[in-house]
Amino acid sequence: MISEKLRKVILAELELDDWDLQDDTTAGMVPGWDSLSHVRIISAVEDAFGVRFKTAEIVRLQSLGELQALVERKTA
Amino acid sequence: MPLTSPGAVAFALAVLALAWAWPPRRLWLLLLVSSYGFYATWGPAWLPGVLAFVTLAAWRLGLLIERAPEERRGGLLGLGLGLCLAPLLLLRGAGALGLDLPSVGVSYYCLQAVAYLLDVRQEVCAAEGHLGRFALHLAFFPKLVQGPIERAPRLLPQLQALSRPTLADFQAGAQLFLWGIFQKVVVADRLAPFVDAAWSPERPPEGLAVLVGAYFFAAQVYFDFAGYTDMALGLGRLFGVRLTQNFNSPYLSASIAEFWRRWHVSLSTWLLDYLFRPMQLGLRDWRTWGTPVALVATFLVSGAWHGTGTGFLAWGLLHGLYLASSVLTARARKSLLRSLGLAGSPWLRPLQVALTFHLVCLSWVFFRAPSAGAALLALRRLVSGLPASLAQGLETWLYLGQGRAPFLAAVAAVAAGSALRAWLRRAGEPGGAAGPLARAWWSPWLRTALSSWMLYAVLFAGAAAQSFLYERF
Repeated sequence: MISEKLRKVILAELELDDWDLQDDTTAGMVPGWDSLSHVRIISAVEDAFGVRFKTAEIVRLQSLGELQALVERKTA
Repeated sequence: MPLTSPGAVAFALAVLALAWAWPPRRLWLLLLVSSYGFYATWGPAWLPGVLAFVTLAAWRLGLLIERAPEERRGGLLGLGLGLCLAPLLLLRGAGALGLDLPSVGVSYYCLQAVAYLLDVRQEVCAAEGHLGRFALHLAFFPKLVQGPIERAPRLLPQLQALSRPTLADFQAGAQLFLWGIFQKVVVADRLAPFVDAAWSPERPPEGLAVLVGAYFFAAQVYFDFAGYTDMALGLGRLFGVRLTQNFNSPYLSASIAEFWRRWHVSLSTWLLDYLFRPMQLGLRDWRTWGTPVALVATFLVSGAWHGTGTGFLAWGLLHGLYLASSVLTARARKSLLRSLGLAGSPWLRPLQVALTFHLVCLSWVFFRAPSAGAALLALRRLVSGLPASLAQGLETWLYLGQGRAPFLAAVAAVAAGSALRAWLRRAGEPGGAAGPLARAWWSPWLRTALSSWMLYAVLFAGAAAQSFLYERF
């Protein structure tokens, strides 16, 4: 399940008031989340959680659930 | 053997007839031998040798990367990338030195081999152990000379599951091929004399003629390449293989970023996944400037992939700068639209589409020109010759010296091609998912009538066949 903190970081970066973010949500399903804004969102998540992802880890991400799991692994 | 030639059609039908009688488990062998035979007709005997070299290098290195411990994978990947890109770089280098060596297809299968190695390294797909099927995934003749640049995770499973061709696939494939050849010989080739006149070195056009020439080239390059893609998709479909659609009405894009999601999709997604994204992530500590720098670098590579001329580099640079500036000005543009009262206006998208189309046309001037200098000269002539061209007759600036009747025929061909594309978007591509219009009772009748009319137009109203523009890349 997507944590409230991750949800807030993503919505703030995309300047969205609200959006239904679920484990199986992919970038293409969220308005404004495209290849150009992707790295901005990833950097904002890294800053908010104080973690650093490897390029290969980011490239393999397929859904928000996987991003949530990656954040949890890094902060564990 | 160009896909538009009767020989290519006869070749495909002969292979299809053999495929019906061939044991399905060995179909890969028939298609592989046919594909190498097809490629051999394109140039000297060493050209299929280059394909075989890239195939063996990518296949062997893919297996080695998969089996190697993590610390050795990077080195093996580097070796594989070097071997797969070497033929492309050597041929491009020879071209830059003035040696005109045939390189048909090389840039397409080299990129496909590179994508495969990177996918294996990133564990996006497993290494293919079967050399024959792997070789076919690079050599499959419908997409060999001009793409689409297929990805292993999409194409290899289809080649592993090859079965006897079906009548439904034949119908869908034949319709796609017909639709493709219509766009090529009835529309794109009819525009060629206008584009050639607009770039005539003897009588360089001025003023509005430059603008009209740019519009003609925009239409020509689209129908030429989209036509080829549909022909390739149709040929692939004859054997039950669904190749990637490269085009999705790109000139209806409301931004350059959207344009690149709808134009030459297999190349733009290749550049996005294997070049732009890793570079963008690697530069993310640069904050504001990381993405714009990655965009400019990616599109410079895209320009260099098309050729070593300065025009291609300028074309790539221009698109890189378009996208970089769109990233840097995103917030300012949003505020501007709000303050102008255009945010949410029904006029906004048409205005954005018109602006995007003209930005793309400007870039096409550099793409079509023999050099960046020649393109700049043409743009200077567009401005300086404007008053004089307005005083001239339509024959000079609108018909580009080709006469009224050929001009009207060319405009009618573009309108017919665009209308058919719009209809297909709503009714569904041949053999694809049915669109909303497909449910209407008259839809099958209209499809049959249009197919008959397209066949008639191809046979009796086609212009003299020109080679495909994207063949030389």
